[in-house]
Amino acid sequence: MRRRPLPLPASAAGIAAIWLVLLCVPWLTASEYWLDTGIAIATFAVLSTGLNLIYGYAGLLSFAQVAFFGLGGYGAALLVTRLGWSFWLALPAAAIIATWAGLLIGYSSLRLSRHAFAIVSLSFALLCGIVARDWVALTRGSMGIPGLSLPGFDAPAHMYRLTVTVAVILLLGFHVLLSSRLGRALQAIKLNEPLAQSQGIDPLRYKLLAISVSAAASGVMGALFVFHLTIVDPSVFDFYYTETMLIMVILGGAGSFWGVIAASAVFSIVPDLLRFSSDLRLTLYGLVLVAAMLLFPGGFAGMLRQRSLLRWKTRL
Amino acid sequence: MADTYLLQLLLNGLVIGVIYALIAMGLSLIFGLLGIVNFAHGEFYMLGAMLSFFAVTDLHLGYWTTILAVTLVAGCVGVFFYHLFLSSLRAADFERSILLTLGISMVLQNGGIYLWTVTPRIVPTPYSYAAVTLGGMQLPVLRLFTLGIATAAFLALYLLLSHTLVGKAMRGLSQSSDAAAMVGIDHRSVARLAVIIGIALSGLAGATLAPVYSVQPTMGSAFVFKAFAIVIIGGLGNIAGAAITAIMLGILESLIGGFFPLTLADSAGFIAMIVVLLFKPEGLFGRGVRV
Amino acid sequence: MTLLTVTGLSKSYAGVQAVHDLSYEIAPGSISGLIGPNGSGKSTSIDCISGFLRPDEGRWSLLDRDLTGMSAHAMALAGLTRTFQTVRAYGEMTLVENLCVAAQEHDGVGWWQALRRSGACQTADAAACARAEELLEKTGLASYRDAPAQVLSYGQSKLLAIAAAMMARPRLVILDEPVAGVNPTMIRQIETIIRALNQQDVTFLIVEHNMDFIMSLCAQVIVLDAGQKIADGPADAVRRDPRVIEAYLGVADA
Repeated sequence: MRRRPLPLPASAAGIAAIWLVLLCVPWLTASEYWLDTGIAIATFAVLSTGLNLIYGYAGLLSFAQVAFFGLGGYGAALLVTRLGWSFWLALPAAAIIATWAGLLIGYSSLRLSRHAFAIVSLSFALLCGIVARDWVALTRGSMGIPGLSLPGFDAPAHMYRLTVTVAVILLLGFHVLLSSRLGRALQAIKLNEPLAQSQGIDPLRYKLLAISVSAAASGVMGALFVFHLTIVDPSVFDFYYTETMLIMVILGGAGSFWGVIAASAVFSIVPDLLRFSSDLRLTLYGLVLVAAMLLFPGGFAGMLRQRSLLRWKTRL
Repeated sequence: MADTYLLQLLLNGLVIGVIYALIAMGLSLIFGLLGIVNFAHGEFYMLGAMLSFFAVTDLHLGYWTTILAVTLVAGCVGVFFYHLFLSSLRAADFERSILLTLGISMVLQNGGIYLWTVTPRIVPTPYSYAAVTLGGMQLPVLRLFTLGIATAAFLALYLLLSHTLVGKAMRGLSQSSDAAAMVGIDHRSVARLAVIIGIALSGLAGATLAPVYSVQPTMGSAFVFKAFAIVIIGGLGNIAGAAITAIMLGILESLIGGFFPLTLADSAGFIAMIVVLLFKPEGLFGRGVRV
Repeated sequence: MTLLTVTGLSKSYAGVQAVHDLSYEIAPGSISGLIGPNGSGKSTSIDCISGFLRPDEGRWSLLDRDLTGMSAHAMALAGLTRTFQTVRAYGEMTLVENLCVAAQEHDGVGWWQALRRSGACQTADAAACARAEELLEKTGLASYRDAPAQVLSYGQSKLLAIAAAMMARPRLVILDEPVAGVNPTMIRQIETIIRALNQQDVTFLIVEHNMDFIMSLCAQVIVLDAGQKIADGPADAVRRDPRVIEAYLGVADA
């Protein structure tokens, strides 16, 4: 994970270039399939990077990403349809709702242990799904809340460009955070928490930072996603998203910024190309997860790191 | 009458509670001795249920035979599970163990959906519609059997942990690995036994509950997540705590579900867990493998 | 004036009294030793005063600042740093990064400044880097500056840990068994480095088993046995104290 990162202006230029290229895609293909895939890639890239921030950098296994994603979606949907807010106000509000949820579960469980946080995050995600399905008065249950449209963004190409732009901004934000000394503190906490504490680093504060930032980003993508689908229903909390994110982070290499983004792209495209039914796909993901944990826990980036470590050892 | 309604709810709650307890105790035992949170635990419950369905409909085994057979098979599966996957994990590999068992759970559940589809199946037994009348209430015989079987399992586990050498070894190990090693207790065989017992309890729970409700491949997930909440509330690694909490939760859910929308009943466990974590993080009964 | 004052420290667990009513004072600018046979409570008492273990009773303060009950990271910010018995380092980070991390919470740069790479942040980073290089030179690790810390040998890791503890310009550095398991050449090296750092007005409290090491370095020595202080004074006096001899060697045969 140590990588002389590119100096900020160079990375920023690179990211800007990629962004411009991505914006041009709708001119190359009118196919909605590719635009949908593009939106999926952008969404998963942000979600996975958020998970990477919590797990790969802070070392906390969390299953709550999907909860923040769905809360953002439902939050925005309810604010727009029930309270008549403009989407542009509902979007940051969705982020704030997700952030507060993150702080709640983070603060309550981190004081006990990482184990508790993992379990609580999982339970929270499930709880959200259950409430979304059962609190019919608020959420209309399994029928969901339809009619989520964004005036001026009705064409698929518009939604695509909006989603991609927001994703790029969020990813840039993540990069700024992770390449700063704050990211370094998070890594320190993950690598050796008592040592970090003895150096004045407050683990709880940093972990809560990671969770909040991650939650906010997920909430934003959730809001955009449901307005793209024009409907939000309890399936937005499906464990499927969590499983997919985990595969992306594990295979890309927890702690590797670009590895996870690359894996997000690959795993958003490949499964559809293979035309698997969803249970077969998930069974396969499960097998991959098991194999990865038994054979190469560090993912692709981890293998690269091992090789560079070997090179140093032979030098000395 | 309102009274019998209440009593009926209590009975149903008790039945569900003891099933929760079987699953939660297994989870707690595995955590207490290996430091591993077994995400695949619910799938063994599901497999126990599915296996009992096939045993009854394809092999035409009787009710009691099925339950016994499934429990034994589950125990054997526990051996494989331990040797193939868990034996190489250390307690420090916490995330790895979660992800590994999560992967196994994904394979088992989705593989199950792929093979058997999500259509619920009913397990026929000669007792399915039999009931005993007591004080104006209809007590379904199957539920009474469930209570009986679970109670027997509790007693067996209790006797094992408190009166046998192996059980004492388990308690010793959960307290201090080094001290136990010095006294000559082989960590690996005791850990393996814990896994065998844990998985067997899950399988037993599945086989026992299968005829009461229906079976399908996704039935494990709802249960296991509640089992997590129970284990946290009861105190990680605390078996008795898990059992008591489980029964309380079963009854609580049943009572809530009887008077309020079902929503709340399902959420009760999770909400309780978050509340307990906020105010008493080590659980209501504290940690450690205690009887 | 004392730098560190510990009063009435007590800690028991699993029914064993690990530390009982421990009190002592450390003078500023000194190198003091805390010794005692295995199980005498040395490391437990250190874990308590550095915030890693909650004691049952006791108060302690650095200069006139009461540190009792503070969390570990807050103590570090108050000027008390430590090393660990099991050597700790950020294995996957380079040596320079290891040292820079150790300084980053102490230079007054806030999160927002850090994110936008403000001028103050960059100056602080450069200063930390320079200090890191300086400490790496002093400890003889300069050639490994860009290597991941995992490649260091055991003794070298101990040196790195000492350097890291120094980065924040602490008032008091507690070294927990700095030379345990280290070869004699390296021991002498560590001794030299501690003396050199002490010249620059850093106070050390060293917990150790190695009597020779302590006696040659430390002006003041505190001796623990079974959780209680049995001696506290100049090294020569302590070395000859019959209670200390008895604690280490057992009761002499009659």
